[in-house]
Amino acid sequence: MSGMLKLSVQNLLRHRTRSFLTMLGIAAAVGVLFSVFSFNRGFDQGLARELQATGLHFMVVPVGCAHEVAALVLHGTVVPKYLDATVIDDVRSTDGVEFATPILVAQLPNPDRHRIDLIYGVEMEVLREIKPDWQITGEIPTAPHEMLMGYDVAEHAGLTLGDEFRYPAVDETFVVTGIIGRTNSQDDAFVYLDIATAQRLMDNPDGATAIGVKVASPERMGSIISELEEAVPGIQTVTMSQVMNSVANVAASAKSLSLAIALVALVIGAVGVMNSILMAVFERSQEIGMMRAIGASRWNIFQIILKETTILTMVGGAAGIALATVGARLIENYVRRIMPYVPGGDMLSFDPLLALACVGFALVVGVGAGLYPAWKASRINPIEAIKGS
Amino acid sequence: MIKLKNVEKKYRRGAEEVRALRGIDLEIQAGEFASVIGPSGAGKTTLLHILGCLDLPSSGELHFDGLRVDRMRESELVTLRRNKIGFIFQQFYLIPGLSVVDNIALPLLFSKNKPAPGRIEELARQVGLSDRLHHVPAQLSGGEMQRTAIARALVNDPEVILADEPTGNLDSANSEKIFDILHKLHQNGLTVIMITHNPELAGRAGRTISIKDGIIEQ
Ligand SMILES: Nc1ncnc2c1ncn2[C@@H]1O[C@H](COP(=O)(O)OP(=O)(O)OP(=O)(O)O)[C@@H](O)[C@H]1O
Ligand SMILES: [Mg+2]
Repeated sequence: MSGMLKLSVQNLLRHRTRSFLTMLGIAAAVGVLFSVFSFNRGFDQGLARELQATGLHFMVVPVGCAHEVAALVLHGTVVPKYLDATVIDDVRSTDGVEFATPILVAQLPNPDRHRIDLIYGVEMEVLREIKPDWQITGEIPTAPHEMLMGYDVAEHAGLTLGDEFRYPAVDETFVVTGIIGRTNSQDDAFVYLDIATAQRLMDNPDGATAIGVKVASPERMGSIISELEEAVPGIQTVTMSQVMNSVANVAASAKSLSLAIALVALVIGAVGVMNSILMAVFERSQEIGMMRAIGASRWNIFQIILKETTILTMVGGAAGIALATVGARLIENYVRRIMPYVPGGDMLSFDPLLALACVGFALVVGVGAGLYPAWKASRINPIEAIKGS
Repeated sequence: MIKLKNVEKKYRRGAEEVRALRGIDLEIQAGEFASVIGPSGAGKTTLLHILGCLDLPSSGELHFDGLRVDRMRESELVTLRRNKIGFIFQQFYLIPGLSVVDNIALPLLFSKNKPAPGRIEELARQVGLSDRLHHVPAQLSGGEMQRTAIARALVNDPEVILADEPTGNLDSANSEKIFDILHKLHQNGLTVIMITHNPELAGRAGRTISIKDGIIEQ
C-alpha cells in the first residue's frame, strides 16, 4: 500500500463506527440506484422480449376494457365481462385474419387446498403460437381431462407430471400432463385448460374474455382493425404495441419516482460524507498543522483528505452494488408483488458496466462532497493549529 | 546560516494587536547548538516558527542559507521546509494509526524522496527504537514517542533541527535521553535549536538565547 493511501485508510479507521455508518449511507444509496437502473433496464428489455415473443398481433376485448386491463388479460386477470359468443366467428371471417383464438380467464375455488385457482382457458392447438417462449416439461394437453400447470402452482401444490388434480366444486379430476418452466411472470400462477373445458367448468359454453388475433400481413393490421371495429359492435381492439406502450407508461412514473428517491438518497449520503470528513478535519487540525510544518504543501493536505472521501465512497459504492446483487432476488420478488405488471425473465441481471457506472457516479458525487472539507483542510493555518493545543 | 534582521511579528487578537517579536536581530551559525529560554509568552515559539520558515515576519528580513525567505512564495517555503528543516514538538504529534516506521517515513510522502534501503531502520536505531519498529504510538512511552518524532525530523536529511520544548512532557530520565540525542546530532554537524524551560539543559547547549517580551536579552 502506498504511504498516502495508508495514511488515508488509517485516518478512516480511527473512527471506525463513524466511517462505517457514512459508508453505509453511500452503500444504501448506490445499492438503490443500481437496483433501480438494473430493474428499469430489465423491465424494458423484458417488455421488448415479450412483444417480440408473442404470436398475437392484437386482442379483441369488450368495450370499456382499458389497455392496462388488456395487458393483464394477456397474463390473465379475471375480467367480469365477456365477449358475445358470435364475436369469434365475426373475427374469424374478417378478411386478412390468419387465426383468432378465444381466451377465457376465470377463478375456480379449490376448497381442498384452501385456495382459489386461476384458470386460463385457451385453445391448446395454438398455445405454441401464443406463447412461443414457454419451456414446457411434458406435453401440452390434448384430451379434455388434461391440464397444464404454471410453475408456481405446480410447486405450491407439490404436483409432478402424471399427478391427478381434483376440483370438488365441479367434481372433476384432471391429469397434469405438462408443467411450464419458470417465467417469472404472472403466467406462473395459472392453471391452463383447454378453452372448451374451461367454458364447461364455468358454465359458460361460449364465453371468452378476449380473442387473440394474428393477421396474415402485419402491414395491413390497421385496416383490419378498423374494419373489425366497424363491423362488430361492443368490442374494442388493443394491439400488442399499445399494450406494451401503456404498460411502459404506467411503469415510467414508477421508474422516475424510484430514480428520484435513489438520487435523493445519494445526495443525503454525500452530505453524510461531507459532514463526517469535515468533522475529522477539525479534529485533526493539529496533526494537519504538524504535517505542514514537516513539509506537506497545501496540495498534499488537500489530496490526503480527498483520498479519504474517495475511499469512503468507493468502498461504500462497491458494498452497495454487492448488497444489491445479493439482494436482487428479494428486491425482484417484492417489486413483482407491488407492480401490476412485470414482464417475464430476470429483471435484475447483473450488468458490470452498469455497476461500474453507478460506482463511478457515486464517486463523482462523493468526491464533490469531499472537495469542501479538503479545501478547508488545506487552508488550516499550521501555526495556529500547532499552538491551539 | 539563518539570519534575522530587525524582525517584528504582530498578531491580531480581535481589536488588540499583540507584538510577539519586537525587533529581533539574530544569527545562527551552521552547526550551532542553541537553546532558547524565556518566560511563557515571551515569543519563543513565534521565533522558532520564523526560524523554521513556517511563519513569516511582519517586518524585517529573514535569510536562510543566503536566501531571502521573507520574500518567498508559499511553494518555495514548502520546498525549504521539506529539504532543510526538521521540526520537533512538545506534543510529539505522531499519527496514531501508523507504526513507528511509517511515522518516521511520513515526511517522505510529501518530499517524494526515496530513502536509501535500511535508512528508516538506521534512524530508528540512532534514536534507540530498533525493537519498536512496528509498534503504534499508543504502545510507546512518551520518551519513545519523542524519539520517533526526532527520527521523523531527520528523515529528509535536514540542515537544522528546531525543537519546541521537546522534553516538556517528559520526566528527567527521558529528557536526558532526548537531550543526548540532540547533542549527538549537533556533534555530527547538524544545527540544533531547542526551546526549553529547563535551565540546566539550556545551559548545556553551546549557546543560550534568552528572550523576554519579544526582545532578545543580553
Ligand atoms: N496566533 C496568535 N494570535 C494572537 N496572539 C498570539 C498568537 N500566537 C502567539 N500569540 C501571542 O504572542 C506572544 C508570544 O507567544 P509564543 O507562543 O511565541 O510564546 P512562548 O514564548 O512560546 O510561550 P510558552 O513558553 O508559553 O510556549 C504571546 O503573548 C501570545 O499570546
Ligand atoms: Mg511556546
